[in-house]
Amino acid sequence: MRVCDLMDREVTVCHLDDTLDQVVRLMKSNQYRPVIVVDLSGEVWGVISRLALIRFFGEDLYEIRAEDVMRPYKFDVDPQWPIEKAIDLMQRTRYEHLTIIDPHAGPKRPIGILSSFNIVWFMSRIETGHYEQILKMPREWYPSCP
Amino acid sequence: MEEKVVRLMRKGAITCGEDASIRQVAQIMAVHSEHYCVVINHNHEVLGIISARSILKAFGKDLDRTTAGDILLPHTITITVNTPLKDAIRLMDKRKIEHLIVVSDRPGGKAVLGMLHIEDIVKNMAPNQEG
Repeated sequence: MRVCDLMDREVTVCHLDDTLDQVVRLMKSNQYRPVIVVDLSGEVWGVISRLALIRFFGEDLYEIRAEDVMRPYKFDVDPQWPIEKAIDLMQRTRYEHLTIIDPHAGPKRPIGILSSFNIVWFMSRIETGHYEQILKMPREWYPSCP
Repeated sequence: MEEKVVRLMRKGAITCGEDASIRQVAQIMAVHSEHYCVVINHNHEVLGIISARSILKAFGKDLDRTTAGDILLPHTITITVNTPLKDAIRLMDKRKIEHLIVVSDRPGGKAVLGMLHIEDIVKNMAPNQEG
């Protein structure tokens, strides 16, 4: 399994100067996925997660820029990496979202994002059409609402 | 007036037993497309929560022998319906967790009433446009 087999290919981007209000709206319209911050040439500078956003709950979102909130881009992750190598990087650095860049483009252009939930999918090893296995699990493990 | 958790919480939760294996917990989360799973005991009392980050950290362990009880974050990160929303957000930020368990505010209340999801907080940060 390679990184490109698991990563989300739908990338949501904003610009360094965009306000947090714009970032929130982008995130809301893209299923609350992390937003990748790029410059005018499309090169990646950082990522804004949901946890980074909520620190500004109740504040004037028009006054805060994406660049001031993002976690800076640090690690080049090739889409052809084995998934275990990316997991090891996430474990060591405590990064929950890795931005995957196009290795063939000159500037670092984002082409995907690998998140901890993608790893949950990988570890569950569920194949399409095998949901019935889950339904056979002991009753106390399968959802109980108070 | 100070906003309370009750305004944004969702009723119910995805749960598993403390003896469930990590693989089973990952399957429950994947099937429900949820980034958390609440761990309960046989009396349906909260023991803790497992996040996507917890599963990630467990990579490399034996997925079938390591149990939910081994990797859960303890229930000290629970809140009640009357917890101020700002306090709940501070707790999420401090513990780096995207879901908080809402329990009864009666003394000793350990049954899950619902969950506070980070998506619902983000949704309310720019409320004048439908998300």
